[in-house]
Amino acid sequence: MTAVSDPNTNQAQAEATQTPQRRSYWGEVWLRYRRRPIAMMALAYVVLLALVGLFSPMIAGTKPIVAYYKGSYYFPFMSYYYDRWENPIFFRDKFRGEFPQNLKKKDPQSWAIWPLVFQDPNRRVRKEEWPGRDANPIGENGAPSRINLFGTTPNGLDVFAQLVHGCRLALLVGFVSMGIASAVGITFGALAGYFGGWVDILLSRLIELVMCLPSIVLILAVVSVIERPTVWHVMVIIGLTGWTGIARLTRGEFMKLRSLDYVSAARALGAGHTRIIFRHILPNSLAPVLVPITFGIASAILTENALRFLGIGPVGGASWGSLLNEGQRNLELWWLILFPGAAIFFTVMAYNLIGEGLQAATDPRLREGAK
Amino acid sequence: MTAYLLRRALIGVVTLFVITALLFALIRNIPGTPLTLSLGEADLGKKQSPEDLALLNKAYGLDKTWYEAYGDWLLGLARGDMGDSLRYRTPVSGLIRRHIGPTLLLSVSSFVITYVLSIPLGLYMTRNGGRLSERTLSVLFYMLYSLPVYVAAIWLLYYFYLRLQGTIWQLPPGMVSDNHAEMSPIGKILDIGKHLILPLLCYSYGVLAFDTRFIKSNMEEVIRQDYIRTARAKGLDDGTILWKHAFRNTLIPFVTLIGLTLPGLISGAVILEQIFNWPGIGSLFFEAVSFRDYTLIMGLALMFSAATLLGNLLADILYALVDPRITYK
Repeated sequence: MTAVSDPNTNQAQAEATQTPQRRSYWGEVWLRYRRRPIAMMALAYVVLLALVGLFSPMIAGTKPIVAYYKGSYYFPFMSYYYDRWENPIFFRDKFRGEFPQNLKKKDPQSWAIWPLVFQDPNRRVRKEEWPGRDANPIGENGAPSRINLFGTTPNGLDVFAQLVHGCRLALLVGFVSMGIASAVGITFGALAGYFGGWVDILLSRLIELVMCLPSIVLILAVVSVIERPTVWHVMVIIGLTGWTGIARLTRGEFMKLRSLDYVSAARALGAGHTRIIFRHILPNSLAPVLVPITFGIASAILTENALRFLGIGPVGGASWGSLLNEGQRNLELWWLILFPGAAIFFTVMAYNLIGEGLQAATDPRLREGAK
Repeated sequence: MTAYLLRRALIGVVTLFVITALLFALIRNIPGTPLTLSLGEADLGKKQSPEDLALLNKAYGLDKTWYEAYGDWLLGLARGDMGDSLRYRTPVSGLIRRHIGPTLLLSVSSFVITYVLSIPLGLYMTRNGGRLSERTLSVLFYMLYSLPVYVAAIWLLYYFYLRLQGTIWQLPPGMVSDNHAEMSPIGKILDIGKHLILPLLCYSYGVLAFDTRFIKSNMEEVIRQDYIRTARAKGLDDGTILWKHAFRNTLIPFVTLIGLTLPGLISGAVILEQIFNWPGIGSLFFEAVSFRDYTLIMGLALMFSAATLLGNLLADILYALVDPRITYK
């Protein structure tokens, strides 16, 4: 056996041992992000918030999670997500939304698993609705107590339940409006950056134009003229005005990446525009684009709650901003401004911290500094 | 430079057209007019007859299609006439003139305060980088930066208006006290000053936090450079290095930032003015929005958009002024 082996196999072996070690671009970003404890805490908070939002009817509600009633199993809590999902049998049997007493009265054999907190975000819990419990206090008597953890509104609605269900709205607003903004921003940015030339000029002018729109003024004006504004209107407007930052970053990334060797290689191999854009460039340009998206989520939540707080936005449904609005009109009920205010504050801060962490993790200048 | 500015101005004008046309189309194509909305609700006693309504519609040009009305509005604008407010029945320009004073009082004083405070604070934090005082300030500013202004406003109102009721420290909303007219000139100024504290605080803390962080992060970049080490090696004291050598080189992004905050001087306080009952442009816009006062909404939206565009343009000009390397072609 000779000391010198075939150089080709050697190289192949070296590559074979190296390849699994090499992390993808995303893996590298995640590794750098993970080193920042505060950013990780913010991420944990947002994940927790998302879980609370997703499972809100199981945390606070007046409808059982599982009910065994007249020989079948039902999931009445689903109606908190969407009204129609309430099983008609409870309507036929005239439950009128009050489950605990009715279940026992109409079927002694029935049993149910209840949410952690028996409170409703949409109405006042009545006397004896839950055996042995008084009706929710109203007005000044609604200070936080063991039953109403964060107090009640002047009309006797539980603040805790509204906060928990409000997470769902915050989640929805953040992700839908930024989903719209990302779709528009990434498409325009990608087209401008990839094709360049007159496409770029045209789209860049459009970006400049939209950037000049004073968004809060526009949102207020549009919401005011819509007959019955819903949260979907607001999300669409936020999305359609908030995509410029995303588009500019995507454009920059595409311009940078399209001239790299691997893209030329793909082109030489005969890959079409669509394939190059979606398979080769887009995955590598998305990480930096997450930064404006995260900041955008924070500002979307901020704006939607501001509209509710001002009382001119969409009405109905549990929302942090609506609670603040009620708090402003009843300033002496401190729990109405403390808890929802803190919820908005912490959520906005968490998204900002995540955005900053991502920025640090994806910024090439900082990356070199860390080496 | 001139060509660049002309191009920008042209884009600006196009933008204004697009914004106003968009708003006009939106407003006009949505069911219900301010006449059916506000008048009908205001006087329940006297129901409007269809003939009256038609007459009013004609008087306010609400019977035209949106593009005809938009054309009329543009023609009026060319003559310097923004139309009459549907609610107040007075010219929009007069209304704006009457409300711009309080807004400028609030925003200009906030502008001055934030820059007077943020520069020394930013330099202080650079100098004490890594120490406990700097870390504390950093965290504090980060939290202030994320604290929504309406949340802060309502918390402050709770404490200073409600809890301190009856003491001399109570700070009420509004701009003047009820007995303002009977006060002496100095008393009047003090009265306004007292009402100004809370809105000013809310208006300023976010910008202050942002600017300070901005200055600090820019300074961090600069003080790592070789010429700063040279200056230090020469034996210059910290103050001179920070102020004369480092800070000057962070002026470029800073000046741009100032330019970008300028439009906020007029439109930035829509929510705040509403909360504190401050009789400025923001409150006026809010009222216009609640009453669907088309002409007033249009006038104010035009003004806000124009201010934003001018601010951006100004930022560009300032940019070229402070940095001789930048030329616009």
